[in-house]
Amino acid sequence: MDEYTIGVLTNVGLFTFLALSAYLLLIAGEMSFGQQAFFGVGAYSGGILTAMYGLQLPLAALGAMVLGALAATLVGLPTLRLRGLYFAMATLAAAEMARILFELFHFQIEVEGETTGPDGTQGFRGIRWVFEHGVEPLEYMALVYALLLVVLAAFLAVERSRLGATLRSLGEDPELAASLGVNVGRLKLGVAAVAGALAALGGVLFAHHNTYIEPRNFDIMLGVHSLAYALIGGLGTALGPLLGVALDIGVLEGSRIFGGARMIVFGGLVAVLLVFRPRGLLDERVVHWFGVRAFKRS
Amino acid sequence: MLQDLLQNTLDGVALGASYALLAVGFTLIFGVLRRVNLSYGPAIMFGAYCATWTYLNFQAGLLVLGIVTVAGAVLAGVYVERLCFAPHRQGSAIAAMVASFALWMQLEEAATLALPKHLYAFPALYEGDPLALGPLSLRIESLAMLGAAGAISALLWTILYRTRFGLAVRAIIDSPTAASLAGINLPRVSLLVFALASAIGGVAGYLIVASHGQVTPMLGMWATLKGLLAMMLGGLGSLPGAVVGGLALGLIEAHSQWFLGPQARDLVAYLLLFALLAARPAWMTRWTSTRSAS
Repeated sequence: MDEYTIGVLTNVGLFTFLALSAYLLLIAGEMSFGQQAFFGVGAYSGGILTAMYGLQLPLAALGAMVLGALAATLVGLPTLRLRGLYFAMATLAAAEMARILFELFHFQIEVEGETTGPDGTQGFRGIRWVFEHGVEPLEYMALVYALLLVVLAAFLAVERSRLGATLRSLGEDPELAASLGVNVGRLKLGVAAVAGALAALGGVLFAHHNTYIEPRNFDIMLGVHSLAYALIGGLGTALGPLLGVALDIGVLEGSRIFGGARMIVFGGLVAVLLVFRPRGLLDERVVHWFGVRAFKRS
Repeated sequence: MLQDLLQNTLDGVALGASYALLAVGFTLIFGVLRRVNLSYGPAIMFGAYCATWTYLNFQAGLLVLGIVTVAGAVLAGVYVERLCFAPHRQGSAIAAMVASFALWMQLEEAATLALPKHLYAFPALYEGDPLALGPLSLRIESLAMLGAAGAISALLWTILYRTRFGLAVRAIIDSPTAASLAGINLPRVSLLVFALASAIGGVAGYLIVASHGQVTPMLGMWATLKGLLAMMLGGLGSLPGAVVGGLALGLIEAHSQWFLGPQARDLVAYLLLFALLAARPAWMTRWTSTRSAS
């Protein structure tokens, strides 16, 4: 594989974490416009931990995930009782505040004779852990996909479990779920925290892949993209978000078939697709159909 | 000090008038469809780009450019309604919203393919000095914006409360099911409301780009965000609320920019929205019927 393909595939992998984070909330019945903020929190905190304090990437990723979960809990506490557009707007407001705070965030120290750290709108350069530790692009891609595989396996396991059924019942009808003894508030907060941690993990991987991040990376465009990825791929299975990201970044950008008019083609395709499949390509019906077939064969 | 305060208030009201127009268009669409149209701003941007293209190729005058902006915005708005909202009328709100986001990407790319530079000059509405009101000053563009906001509000009120079409729109806002049972043609009214809202947005967009003297692809996102913000601040779904929300947003921005700086300006607006949503005062969540105003 050449460098370009590896780069595109790595991007597909790491943006899938963000799409999964939006997907998890959609399953639980909440539409968030703000997951990009936790992606940003992960990117900044992960970068600070490795580039400024010399931590190893795995440890930094763990720290960033904890921070992402904390931030998501903080945003979730006052907002998760809101429904629909109200929740979407509250998360949008929180994420835009986070982006502006990144713009105001100046925190630089000397590391081995070089100033490094977040410099407001100038961004944060020199997140070079991957380069300094001799990790080849192919190896980094393998790392991203190994992590993604673990997360996807966990998702698929949860979706087959009682917890998965509870989550979907919450998304379908929270009152009904509550009347069946589901602790709606606590479950939603847990979902928000996990979604925040997932987005933060994606952010850490993004920062170390790019070596450079800036506040603009984490604007509302990224948030709506992650929602769109989850919805295009389908809300029936956790493989949906991966399919959504792969279609946009992988196939359309990677192949460069349509050149500059990529978004015209993609945008039109998405709008038409949603007319026929309002819950995405891999929606619940398709997933169920596959499930039944697999069961019959065995 | 007092003079600054007054000047900021004046600027804030003028800025707020443009937000109010954006919010009114947004609210009309939301009221009738209960759907968020993320492509609302990009449709306005598309109109502004049509006008810029006309200006670059034919050096058209201000009046023609205004008409082209509105026509472009209406065309894009109708396209968005047909592809994103008409098919999802009974269906998923999220699907409709994501579809409108997909068309946003389309409109933005179409505009940047036609005019690839990052920034284009747009002929200014007025070249002279601002109007002096004692120690205060008011830009002529701001005056035009205030006038347009007032005129459009009056016109919209007349349409909504003095025509059969307006009656149908209000009936749908109150109860889509009852309205369609009463024989109101929902698809047709929705399409017309979309066209009307886009036309209002087009007027606002034209005045905004003409007073800034420039147009960029960012206008789409900007208009969507400001319109959404003003609509939410005014209590989702009420037209008088949208006007109040727009003016409030303008005042908040003008004052916080003066006292705290440009980055804090947006921060304060978002912080206020977040706090309001978290606290949820009754006026924010109540679906205010349009009947109360008649």
